[in-house]
This record gives sequence, structure tokens and C-alpha cells, in this order.
Amino acid sequence: MAEKLHLEIITPLELVLSEEVDEVVAPGEVGEFGILPGHIPFLSLLSPGELKYTSGGTETRLIVWGGLADIREDRVKVLVDGVERPEDIEPEEAKAELDKVSEEMKSFEGDSAGLKELQRRLRLAELRASAGA
Amino acid sequence: MPSLKQIRTKINSVKGTRRIMSAMKLISAVKLQKVQGTLLSSRPYSHAMKEIAGSIALRCDPEWHPLLRDPEETKNIQLVFMTSDRGLCGSFNSNLIRKIETYMVTDAPRYENVSFRFIGRRGRDHFARSGVAVTDSVIGLNERNYGDVSGAVSKALVREYTGGRIDEAVLVYNYFKSALTQIITFERVLPIEPLEGASEQDGVYADYKYEPQRKELLDGVLPRYVEARVQRAVLETLTSEQASRMTAMDNATRNADSVISQLTLLFNKTRQANVTSELMDIVNGTESMKKGG
Repeated sequence: MAEKLHLEIITPLELVLSEEVDEVVAPGEVGEFGILPGHIPFLSLLSPGELKYTSGGTETRLIVWGGLADIREDRVKVLVDGVERPEDIEPEEAKAELDKVSEEMKSFEGDSAGLKELQRRLRLAELRASAGA
Repeated sequence: MPSLKQIRTKINSVKGTRRIMSAMKLISAVKLQKVQGTLLSSRPYSHAMKEIAGSIALRCDPEWHPLLRDPEETKNIQLVFMTSDRGLCGSFNSNLIRKIETYMVTDAPRYENVSFRFIGRRGRDHFARSGVAVTDSVIGLNERNYGDVSGAVSKALVREYTGGRIDEAVLVYNYFKSALTQIITFERVLPIEPLEGASEQDGVYADYKYEPQRKELLDGVLPRYVEARVQRAVLETLTSEQASRMTAMDNATRNADSVISQLTLLFNKTRQANVTSELMDIVNGTESMKKGG
């Protein structure tokens, strides 16, 4: 059994990260989960949230926009729509986005699929606003 | 022999054309650089998506999700045929069209129904009067709207496949290998091909553990797979088109250069001939005047 995990974070726009790490904690749709080497094959949808990974004792946090994670044979593939480092987020811009989505939420009229999408955006906006602050 | 004036006009017109072609080449080069960057950095996503979907197809029962359906008989096939909207890009479209016409003769008869979905005006126009079944066509693909286009196309493919109207979906496009080489590619998107060469050490393809429930998860993952594949093919098309145009315009510029130099040579020769014959006239004139005087 390998002692390390190979973590890859990929967005439709680029390969963000490909690294050997010790542990990954990801925001699953039904709750945060942690992955250590030797995990069984596991497939999960990811919600917008914070993805943490530890490598050599240092922990790195990233904001992911939601997507999926595929865990197989000590390879963790995270396919998400977008990734941001908390320090790269502009607080004002994130705040403005949050206000905008909140407004949309108040005046929302539509089907459940639309609502789900909007809730997802709201969650992401909240997350970015709190991370940037 | 054409007159000096005629040759001069011709040279100027070729020079004008050359200027346009050289400008088009430069524009394509810039566009190519941009879209090529997007393409190259988006390939890992599509590749990973294909692998995950393949791994799902390997481990899951086809009954579990309509997109995993594995038809026993492939009766209805849909070809997503990607060409460019505009010409002046060398053999980019014509090679694709020739290839697909061969395909219609050699492979298509195996299926009961072959339908087309066109992206790009050139392909659509070529088959406009040929009587092939056209499901839909998209015109006006560019570097800005490719995400929306591939989203719409992939949704339509998913709808038709899960509805049982098609049993196989194939993308036909120019794969961008390098600025000089593009390879015509037939790529099967649906049904999803099980991953090959996966290791069996975790039991005989041990099933995944899923979060959330399997159904929801497959609902979330499989359509993304189709979209990722379509999006990449669309980007390959955009990149190949610019590369093709750049090469074609480069060749055309060079041809124009050689035409200009030939014409210039002709121009000089003609002028020299004119000068010579005028001199002869003068000499003859003076000679005859001497004799007369």
C-alpha cells in the first residue's frame, strides 16, 4: 500500500494541481469527508466548499466550486468547475457577488432545478465572502 | 504580349490580395495562440472525465442509469459533425467532408438510421441537399460561446440517448496535433466505453462506494462526462480551424510573392523590349535621314 496519495485537481480550464499528499479533506455533497492512503474506491459529488490537503505537515486550503471526486488506488482526482485560493479572493468583489445572489434569491420564481442551482451559487458566494474577509 | 500598363495593374492587384492574406495569417496566428492555450489546458479535464466515466461503466450495471445503457444492437447512430463556418482555411473542411462521404458509403449502411448534428456552416451547407437526416445544426461557434454551444449539444445528446432515439453518438472533428498537423477523428461518446487495463487488485472491479446515493451521483457525473467530451472536441475544432487557416494563408502569401516576382520580371522584360524597340526606331530614323540628306 502506498503511503502517499496522488492528488490531482482539475478544472475545465486547467490542471490546477498534481501532487503527492498525505491527506485530503473534501466537501462532499452529504458532508465533509477525509481520505487517507488505502481508501476503498469511492466516488462523490462535491459541493462548493473548502478542500484541504496536508503534505509534509503543512495544510493547504482551497475554495472549490463543486464537482466530483474520484478515489481509486490511492489516486484522488478532483474535478471541479473552479478553484480559488482564499488569499486570491477580492473581499469587496466577493461581498458584492453575495449581495447580488441574495437579492436574486429573494425574488426567485422558478422550478426546483433553478432553485437548487441558485442555492449552490449562494453557498459559494457566502463561502467566498467569508474566505476573502 | 500584355502592355506595361496591364502588367502594372496586375501586380498591384496581386499585391493587394497578398496584403489581405498576410493580415489574415497574422490574425489567425493570434487567435490560434489564444484558443490553443485554452485547448491544451482543458485536455486534462476531459481526459480525467473519460477515465472516471469508463471506470463507472466498468463497475456499474447498465441498468443503474439510462446513460449506461449498452444497446445490444446499434440501430440509430448520430454523428456530430464539426466543421468551420468560414472558408479560406485550406483543406480543413474538405478533408472532413471527403472522409465522411467515404464513411457514408463504407460504414453507414451497417446502421438503420444515420442522423447528423452539424456544428459549423460548411458541413451543414454541404449536406443541405443530399437528403441526409439532420437532427439539428449550430452555426456561429466561436472562442467565446463554445461553452454554451457544447453545453446545449451535450444536453441534446443525453436527451436523445436516454430517450432511446439514438444508440450511439460519435463526434467527428479535426484533432489538433500541432499547428501543422490536424487529424480527422471519429470519437464515440455514447455508449460509454468501459475503461481498459484497469487493475483488478481491489477485487473483481470492486464497486465504488458512493456519496450521495448511486442514482443521484450518476445523474451528476455522467452528463458532465458527455459535456466534457463535446467541449473538448469543439475546442479541438476551433483550434484546428485557426491552425489550418494560418498555414493556408501562409502558403497563399508565399504564392503571391512568387507571382509578384514573376510579374515584376515580365514587367522589366517588357519595358526593356519597349526601350530597345524605341531605340531601334530612333536609330533607323536617323540613319534614313542621313541617307536622304
